Amino acid sequence: MAAHVLQQCVRLIARPTPRLCASNLALRVASASTVAVHGRLSYVADSRRTRWLGQSQVSMSVASVLCRQYADLPPLTLESIKDRVMYVLKLYDKINPEKLQTSSHFMKDLGLDSLDQVEIIMAMEDEFGFEIPDVEAEKLMTPDEIVQYIADKQDVYE
Amino acid sequence: MASPLRGEVIRLYKNLLYLGREYPQGSAYFRERLKSAFMKHKDVTDPEKIKKLVARGNFVIKELEALYFLRKYRAIKKRYYEPEK
Repeated sequence: MAAHVLQQCVRLIARPTPRLCASNLALRVASASTVAVHGRLSYVADSRRTRWLGQSQVSMSVASVLCRQYADLPPLTLESIKDRVMYVLKLYDKINPEKLQTSSHFMKDLGLDSLDQVEIIMAMEDEFGFEIPDVEAEKLMTPDEIVQYIADKQDVYE
Repeated sequence: MASPLRGEVIRLYKNLLYLGREYPQGSAYFRERLKSAFMKHKDVTDPEKIKKLVARGNFVIKELEALYFLRKYRAIKKRYYEPEK
């Protein structure tokens, strides 16, 4: 009798972790299906559920798909980089937006000095979220060169 | 002006610009003052003088850091203690 009670206790202690996991999975499945009740996703989820009986796999994949959609940025293209660079330059107060061309030289055509160029590079760093080393930054003198440099660094090709 | 000091001066300018973003009177005000301070010495060519000016810039960086630290400290103190009457 005593042995039986002891065994029960041990089982009770050992059980919580798997039970927690199971409830967690159930919760995830429930939330996934409630999020996508009216969309195409619910259909996808249902068909997947019937295809694979392992529910854990289904819930994991649905959850990851939902998360990824919220976090993804639209992929960079040469065109979008160019638009963003030109947008930043137009907002810069020392540049006359009418004179600005993609090929205009900051110092020769737009009348800026090297300190203004440093400010432009800093604005680009803010816009695209990565640091441009000083050695490279010195060579970037036209909007075209900036676009090309950013495309190289972010692995964007035609 | 392709001297090795050029990079140093530009780095100083960049660092000061970064620090100036949180300047109490606004980053635009700070940027204007910083630019005029640098432009005032644009004709200096003597390396010794440039080094001195860069050292002064580094001193200003330290001052700014101290200013921000003090501001932070005051804000924290204000939240934890009753203001003195």
